Amino acid sequence: MHESFYVYNWVETTHVLTLTLSLGLLLVIDLRMLGLAFTNLPATRLAQRLQTPMLLGFALMFLTGMALFYAIPVRSSQSLWLRIKLLLLLAAFINALVFHKHLRNAGPDWNNSTRAPESLRRGALISIGCWVSVVICGRLIAYDWFDCSKNPAPLISAFIGCITDQEQF
Amino acid sequence: MSVFTAYARTLAAIAIIALAAVFALSDLRMASWEALESVFAWSETTVFGYIGKTWGAAFAIVEALHLVGLAVLGGAVVVGDGRLLGLWFNDYSCAEIQRGAQRGFFWGLTILIGTGLFMACGVAMKIYYMPVFWYKMLALGSGILFAYCIRKPLLTAQPDQLNHRTLDRFFRLRR
Repeated sequence: MHESFYVYNWVETTHVLTLTLSLGLLLVIDLRMLGLAFTNLPATRLAQRLQTPMLLGFALMFLTGMALFYAIPVRSSQSLWLRIKLLLLLAAFINALVFHKHLRNAGPDWNNSTRAPESLRRGALISIGCWVSVVICGRLIAYDWFDCSKNPAPLISAFIGCITDQEQF
Repeated sequence: MSVFTAYARTLAAIAIIALAAVFALSDLRMASWEALESVFAWSETTVFGYIGKTWGAAFAIVEALHLVGLAVLGGAVVVGDGRLLGLWFNDYSCAEIQRGAQRGFFWGLTILIGTGLFMACGVAMKIYYMPVFWYKMLALGSGILFAYCIRKPLLTAQPDQLNHRTLDRFFRLRR
């Protein structure tokens, strides 16, 4: 990937395109919980039906993301934005677990109403916030403002694990 | 019903494709491209162009929002077209699914075009000389025409507005 002229671009394009499957379907579910989309469909049924293609999208996104990381490992691992992105992904994952727990406990009474119970709406909002931030951080990885080669502030340097005179690739 | 009335949309689509072919193969294409140079140069001098070129962080965040717009659009297309392909929600009518999907499509497209215009102003002269940018615009224009001039009218039309050949397909989709 590092040597090829095309492969990195194709993998990066695939990584972005899987957004439409993973994040796109996640947004559909979250917006349904908030009463902003597909309000004519039962919320839990919508979430159940879209779960498999959404997880497929996330799997593809994870694989292509790993490949992109593998192509430029040192710079990527010392990227401020990648580290923030990983923390946000962890937060989104924990939020998803809590969200599903609330979904199971909520019962069927609200299923056809426009808006979901407050705990689910809160979870949907956190989910949207986390994922939009993940996309922003992902986009910012391409910029070198806080790269080790730019001698960032000591606190940032410590956070991203800069090593003096280390070669970057 | 005459052939012009029954196949008005199809004939319009053929006419547009023929015009596009004439445009692409004649000197008109190069003349239009050269005439647009001043528009692209001007767009770099606008407020959007100034912000895009001066504040890299603002440009990057708008780029990310462009991707979020792509996700909204993609989600709407996957849900709506998945139903048309019979992949999911087969116990709901196409019309029910399309109502939500079309709204998502509209907002996704609005975000994409809004953020795309901002980004284009920041790097106008760069993209002006990129063939890939023009291919993308061609694909975007074709996609919008298809979505709003063919797909949406077909899915929202009443049975008496459709000709008999599409009617069978229409009722299969609505089941």
